[in-house]
Amino acid sequence: MGSDSGWKRVLRGVLLTIVALFFLFPIFWVFLMSFQTNETILRIPPSIVFEPTLQNYVALISGKLVSNAGVLEIAFMKNLGNSLILSVVSVALSLLLGVPAAYAFARFKFRLGEDIAFTLLSFRFAPPLLVLLPLALYFQSMGLIDTYFGLIWVYQLITLPLILWIVRGYFEDISEDIEYAYRVDGNSWLRTFLKISVPLARPGIAAAMLLAFIFAWNNFVFALILASADKQPVTVGALAFVTASGIQYGQIAASIVLSVTPTLLLALYAQRYLVEGLSLGAVKG
Amino acid sequence: MHEKAKDLAQAVIRKEIGRREFLRRTGQLGLGAAASAHVLNMMQTKALAADFDWKKHEGTTVNLLMNKHPYMDAMIANLDNFKELTGMEVKYDVFPEDVYFDKVTAALSSGSTQYDAFMTGAYQTWQYGPAGWLTDLSEFISDPALTNPNYNWDDVLPNLRAATAWSGIPGAPLGGDGAKQWAIPWGFELNSVAYNKRIFDQLSMTPPENMDDMMEKAAQIQADVDGVYGIGVRGSRSWATIHPGFLSAYANFGQTDFTMEDGKLMAAMGTAESKEFHAKWVKMIQDSGPKDWSTYTWYQVGTDLGAGASGMIFDADILGYFMNGGGNAEAGNLAYSAFAANPQADAPTPNVWIWSLGLSQFSSQKEAAWAWMQWASGTEHGLFGARQMDFVNPVRQSVWDDADFQSRIAKSYSGYLEQYKASAPGSKIYFTPQPLFFNLTTEWAASLQKMVAGEVPVDEGLDQLVDSVNRQLRSVGL
Amino acid sequence: MSAAAKRPFMRLALPYILSLPALLVCIGILIPFGTAVYYSMQRYNLAFPMGRGFIWFENYQAFLTDPAFWNTIRVSLLYTFLTVTFELLLGLGVALLLQRRTLMNNVLSIMLMLPLMIAPAIAALMWKLMTNPNFGILSYLVGLAGLEDFKWASDPGTALFTVVLVDVWVYTPFMMILLLAGLRALPRQPFEAAELDGVPSSFVFFRITLPMLTPYILTAVLFRMLESIQQFDIIYAMTQGGPGDTLMVFQVQAYLERYQYTNVGRSAALLMVLWAITFILSNIFVKQWLRLRERARGV
Repeated sequence: MGSDSGWKRVLRGVLLTIVALFFLFPIFWVFLMSFQTNETILRIPPSIVFEPTLQNYVALISGKLVSNAGVLEIAFMKNLGNSLILSVVSVALSLLLGVPAAYAFARFKFRLGEDIAFTLLSFRFAPPLLVLLPLALYFQSMGLIDTYFGLIWVYQLITLPLILWIVRGYFEDISEDIEYAYRVDGNSWLRTFLKISVPLARPGIAAAMLLAFIFAWNNFVFALILASADKQPVTVGALAFVTASGIQYGQIAASIVLSVTPTLLLALYAQRYLVEGLSLGAVKG
Repeated sequence: MHEKAKDLAQAVIRKEIGRREFLRRTGQLGLGAAASAHVLNMMQTKALAADFDWKKHEGTTVNLLMNKHPYMDAMIANLDNFKELTGMEVKYDVFPEDVYFDKVTAALSSGSTQYDAFMTGAYQTWQYGPAGWLTDLSEFISDPALTNPNYNWDDVLPNLRAATAWSGIPGAPLGGDGAKQWAIPWGFELNSVAYNKRIFDQLSMTPPENMDDMMEKAAQIQADVDGVYGIGVRGSRSWATIHPGFLSAYANFGQTDFTMEDGKLMAAMGTAESKEFHAKWVKMIQDSGPKDWSTYTWYQVGTDLGAGASGMIFDADILGYFMNGGGNAEAGNLAYSAFAANPQADAPTPNVWIWSLGLSQFSSQKEAAWAWMQWASGTEHGLFGARQMDFVNPVRQSVWDDADFQSRIAKSYSGYLEQYKASAPGSKIYFTPQPLFFNLTTEWAASLQKMVAGEVPVDEGLDQLVDSVNRQLRSVGL
Repeated sequence: MSAAAKRPFMRLALPYILSLPALLVCIGILIPFGTAVYYSMQRYNLAFPMGRGFIWFENYQAFLTDPAFWNTIRVSLLYTFLTVTFELLLGLGVALLLQRRTLMNNVLSIMLMLPLMIAPAIAALMWKLMTNPNFGILSYLVGLAGLEDFKWASDPGTALFTVVLVDVWVYTPFMMILLLAGLRALPRQPFEAAELDGVPSSFVFFRITLPMLTPYILTAVLFRMLESIQQFDIIYAMTQGGPGDTLMVFQVQAYLERYQYTNVGRSAALLMVLWAITFILSNIFVKQWLRLRERARGV
């Protein structure tokens, strides 16, 4: 962790450049595509020179695609709204349920504790397809099919185990002494949990929240099987640009850019917490 | 306001004047072509109302599950007329084509009452019908209380009517004895050659006339035109790779997928003729097909033709049709030609894909849903879609005979009508109907992929396929 | 008096009160799991309603002699092993590069998460275009480098490489961010002491960093492994399991059986086998994880 010598710093720079190129070049290319028409995207060979156009974004945001076959409706903004509702509410519910449970597993040794924890994690690895067919039947009879409530419930299978396990790890890393000192001062357990433990675990919660949000955002199959067209997220919505008269790559690219933006903003926001929280969490020498 | 135009439209309906004359006269009234067409369409819809109680289900809402498709777009564009005619509401759920059938299967297998009618393909009815998810529509069609007198079912091309009717007995012919009408044909595609006229002219080449000729010409394009490959055909690991050009050519050599032996279905891809044809097809792809053929679906085949990356395609005629417009680089350069693979064959034998309308068995308002179905598959909407939208190919003879539709196609789609005329008589479904269609046909595609990749020789691969297919048929008791 | 009587009860009940709501919410969803197990023991193809019947373990027995099933097992495990290994090594490497808390490192770590933020199904669509031999930028660049006939996902020889590449591109950031958070949370004393003593950096890495980081590595690997063995979106979008049967992993096969071939019984049985594999794997990992945690906390 000491100061780097010159060649080490150069090596680090070179490696980071390669890494950034690998991960970000495809994104950069998609970003460029979002400002092109299909005609310029589909050139042989591909070229970086083109006349930028905003028509893909205009079509997506206005919800109207004007073509020679008339004006077609695009439900993309509706899809984006659905993605937001499903991901935000799912993650919020998972935090509400998962953080106390994570605290329980980290702090208390109790009968069946590990079993319950493992069972909760195991929901993560029940193949979704296995559950979906019977689930659709049950939802049908319970009137939960095609409801946000039902979908958010199912989304817990994605978000809850992730939050639970990551947050649990962070709680275990936090020294119990601070909590103990606060309790000795006469504060209730609940107060200690809310005022001391949760703020201390903020970096873990932020990271878990971010990841859970991303996985919820990227889910594809739950809404497809369990809900009608007006509750579909962007992942299903973006496929609407794969049309019988050609794949609208420009619009898919623009939809990627638009759908990544909320997540990116959230990530940048969480990063602030992450850094701030980490300086608190790590035991200082 | 348009009273005069309306009178003129009445005259068209009474067949006193032609459509052309109507447009000329409304033009004199200062009405634009689109507005005139609208008035005529509206009046024709009203005429439709004359001898039938369209208002019977007034106030009902019909729910549709639909694929994102130009046919659907044409329907939406004309939907107000239906609402006015019937006083009904129509709600529709549109899903992207990539996931559409999975959504249909999911909805129907959970017994969902959410949807009354939906788009389906003919092959799908071989599953949905036996599964008990579809309503037999023959009773609706023949009941004058339910079907308007102008519906004219016999106007729908006979091969298509047959293709959407089946008795449910594996191997029994489509439209044969005891057949139930599982769906109504809506729009269809047959398979022929669409080619890039610019490239063909540049090489002074004419469209291919048989399999060997196609292989040669594809190879010549590959060799002579820089950056362009010879021929685009589908190749993904899906049943959809088999059903277009491939099966059309296969059938042209008199080959079938199955034969009946002692009342049992037997795989028939192992004959000497079949092996010879497979070998040629595989060689054509290896020599002059797309480099990444094994990932090719409808979209890639079409995209390449539209962008000028391929010299020709052997696929759905309407794929070439769609690629001749929109934002495609080669729009306007595409032309069409019928294709018979076998030089000894009298005529082309294109296998067909039919987008059809099905009525869900779980619907609680079948009669109301049928009201929409007969309107959507009727002559009036068919004419509207074919003249003004991309509701092509029409399934009704009367629409094909329409002068406006013909002149519109002839103007922008070089050789399309000729291609259709030559192909139509022999076009039908060349698969043997049986419920394992998707399973076995996907396996056929996978085995074709192995042959093209050189993982297995053609004859050996086909012997393995035949064994595997027969084993699977026996395992379900067929 | 009453408060004192309550306290021992509360102390006992508290952990259950805290964890039960989470459990109940998940169990509610998992009731259909039992139904699915029942399906897996049926001859149940939706297109053959008459043939439906309970057949105990015949669906499973049929797998034993089915070469396609063993191919699926092999491909799934190989895919999981390759993706998780590469993602761990690369993710750890990148996390180490970004370990210092500088503004640039912080921003870069977020930017590197971008691939994870694109839904894999849509990302695969873009990769398919970028590897297209005519219009694809990657094919073009690879062509410039002399590999003109590289066929990416469409050739059996390179298909696995291609989907693994896409998986690595999408999911390495997941590993990276978990490990980065772990690295930054490590206590500083051991490192400062080692530096004072002039301990070589490779020794520090293998004897201090890695052991202390292991619980984080296990968590990250566990989550990646469970996802990877169930991979569907990327493979289905890129090749549908082809060419031939090269990439026919569990979920792709089960999806086809279920939604295209309507063979519910076989699909359920296939997924049960997948579930059993993931259950065993995760059991091993969780046990290991708990032991390490115990040791770490005991020190």
